[in-house]
Amino acid sequence: MTSSGYAGKILRLDLTNRKAIAIDTEPYRRWGGGHGMGSALFWDFCKDKTITDGRHPANVCCVATSPLCGTIVPSAGGRCEVVGVGVGQYPVSWFTRTNFGGRFSTMLKYAGWDAIVIEGKADSPVWIDIRNGQVQFRDARDLWGKDTWATQLEIRKRTGVKGGAKTRWQDLDALPGTDQDRESEAELGRTTQKPATLCIGPAGENQTGHGALIHDAGNGAGQGGLGAVWGSKNLKAISVLGTGGVKVHDPKTLLQARVVTKEKYVTNWQAPDFQAWTRIGGLPKPIVQAAPPTDERRPQSCQGCINGCRSRYNVGYGNESACQETFWYGPYVRKIAKNAAEDTEINLKGADIVQKYGINSFVLQPGLHWLEHLYEEGVLGPGRQIPSDLPWESMGTLDFAEKIVHALSTRTDIGADLAEGWVQAALKWGREEDLHTGALQFSYWGVPEHGYDPRAELEWGYGSLMGDRDTNTHCFNYIFTNVSAAFAFGKPLRIGAEEMVNLHVKKMAPYAKDRPEVLDYSDANMYSEAIAQIVRWQQHYCRFYKNSALFCDLKWPDFVNTNVPNLEGATASTDAGEQVFWNAVTGDNISFEDGIEIGRRIWNLDNAIWTLQGRHRDMVHFAPYLYKTVYKKGEVFPFFMWTCRDEKGQWHYRDLMGRSLDKAKVDEWKTIFYRLEGWDTKTGWPKRSTLEKMEMGFVADALERAGRLGEEAS
Amino acid sequence: MSYSLSQPGESLSRRILSPVPYKERFPAGRLKPPVGVIPGDVRSLPELHLYLEPDEASLPGIRLEALSAWIEKCIGDKDLAESIRTIVAARNNYVDGCLKVHKILGYRLDQARRVMGESA
Repeated sequence: MTSSGYAGKILRLDLTNRKAIAIDTEPYRRWGGGHGMGSALFWDFCKDKTITDGRHPANVCCVATSPLCGTIVPSAGGRCEVVGVGVGQYPVSWFTRTNFGGRFSTMLKYAGWDAIVIEGKADSPVWIDIRNGQVQFRDARDLWGKDTWATQLEIRKRTGVKGGAKTRWQDLDALPGTDQDRESEAELGRTTQKPATLCIGPAGENQTGHGALIHDAGNGAGQGGLGAVWGSKNLKAISVLGTGGVKVHDPKTLLQARVVTKEKYVTNWQAPDFQAWTRIGGLPKPIVQAAPPTDERRPQSCQGCINGCRSRYNVGYGNESACQETFWYGPYVRKIAKNAAEDTEINLKGADIVQKYGINSFVLQPGLHWLEHLYEEGVLGPGRQIPSDLPWESMGTLDFAEKIVHALSTRTDIGADLAEGWVQAALKWGREEDLHTGALQFSYWGVPEHGYDPRAELEWGYGSLMGDRDTNTHCFNYIFTNVSAAFAFGKPLRIGAEEMVNLHVKKMAPYAKDRPEVLDYSDANMYSEAIAQIVRWQQHYCRFYKNSALFCDLKWPDFVNTNVPNLEGATASTDAGEQVFWNAVTGDNISFEDGIEIGRRIWNLDNAIWTLQGRHRDMVHFAPYLYKTVYKKGEVFPFFMWTCRDEKGQWHYRDLMGRSLDKAKVDEWKTIFYRLEGWDTKTGWPKRSTLEKMEMGFVADALERAGRLGEEAS
Repeated sequence: MSYSLSQPGESLSRRILSPVPYKERFPAGRLKPPVGVIPGDVRSLPELHLYLEPDEASLPGIRLEALSAWIEKCIGDKDLAESIRTIVAARNNYVDGCLKVHKILGYRLDQARRVMGESA
């Protein structure tokens, strides 16, 4: 059945038998969409939830949209969530998530599908051709080996040729279909759109832990190694072409909320305020810094977004790449670049390289730093303890970038060991000491530190630790960046520390509402119940609003807005808050807090899956260097400013550099966190009483059968 | 802008334009929202000059107070080190310090390149 915001059907792809099955979306509606829907689908269709390597044939990978996809909700309509057991983490690869933007989720909705469930393994490479309700498994043997751009170009050619199919359309074992479902190929009509394709490159084909999923030129779902999962299933690409639309329950309210967003929160383009502190309404300005000759550009954005944080350049490279992939190579490029223009050119071409190979560039940021250390120390290189024939002496050149990415993507040279995970490689190479000294800064679960050090930015570190990967949720970190930048420029702060925390906690219902102490990151408060509450709020908020409703991580939540007199951001507001858009599209009537509660439910389902995979609280700890070394002041930036209270309870912006984490105190903090979540404090496993209150008794039953249900008395 | 830096000799000019060994690298991160702080280092004055070039989307992250000692010890340019020490002590704020160091570095590099017969 269909309901507002939803397409009404979910597509199950049985790769083993090359069979497509449509199921009803309705039973999964309680999980919202995106991550929640994906976790629930994984729960139902993954028959062995004890697997800890995503390349296992039993793994199920779900690609899921949200009701907001394909609509005009600002900074929400173009995201897409992917879940499944990952590859390459340490000590085990958890059920995990990744996310990308662009127009794939929109096209999937327009084709009539809310999500795709990928099961089994094809006996030879395939790509999936979805055109509205029709689904075809196509031979991808001749696409295997092609990079992600060449793959997409070839698929565009093939989908543009009428009658090019050599096999019959799959008969869908479907629910009673809509008119759209019954259309034959000839009746599809015509569209000027090109298909939206999600695919893997060589890194995914070779099942390396850094294999990403790539869509269009620069949308990548990198974390978690889900590209390797596709490679293990012989799935090269999914192409979607849809000619339908999304039914919006209350278009008038949706339009009004979008107009309010523009009027209240968007920077005035005629008189821009460059000191504005707002997230939703920045100028359509690229994230990436470009120097001549690439200063001629036009903004490019995900479907429906009002921001346009990516660019298309007159020079024709670096297009649509927007974030970390545009400077993973930066620290090395400037060692050889003659000027800023050459610096930019190599960095943007470096972005193109990782996009084409389909590799998660994030591992390269601290990863390459470590490899350089090993090379310079005489450990890595030709004929050395860790043999490598890569031209290490030419780090910084485009040639080296291509060669290192090639090696990592094809399991050649050191890529053979790193494909299974960087921490695993460190242990294999006898470099465990590097996890203790910080030479290898992979902070949690065998994945890299993001740029917000857990010793300073607590919610980022703890959130990653209690989850399954680097959290990569930018809910609060602009406190650090904006305040630190103001200090760096010697500018007076527009908003004082006390007002800043109050603006935040006003919107942080239910756990942190009007509790400013949750943003006190001082030494005295860093292991407290208050910090556990901000981590809970972040995890639950993100599991629903960011990962399931698919509001953009870089734009939401919007706590503070300097364009309005009361400085309040859009989050949870009654005129343009997240729940306003959700209700306008779906016809639901949820409150902001209801969304947080849905997020708690999803978070608990995820923890149940991790528990079945073997998680225990004894496994939950940071990399040793975070306990053994201090965050050295000045080595990466002069200060890390954050809101803190002093002994008298007065609020200040204080520098958080110069401290480490105390392992025993982190362990005590875990107990507080588990208690607040209603989990067994001895194991971290969910309790029946907690699950049943959320109508998740079926999860408790499964945990009990597996002997992994938390004890009530704990 | 002119500085009271005497013309370097050929030997010093060569050091000014050359990288130092890895073990003598100077830590240099970069704050780049929304990615965060990116670790890195610099190993030469030309690299440091490029690193400090104003960039509207990011900020360099170095210990300005430690820079003079590094230049004196690892590059061997006492005059430049002293000038930078004075600049850093008199800076209005961190960014102001970075900009002024960037300018004097450019001046010094031009001097060295002229001595070495390179185009400035």
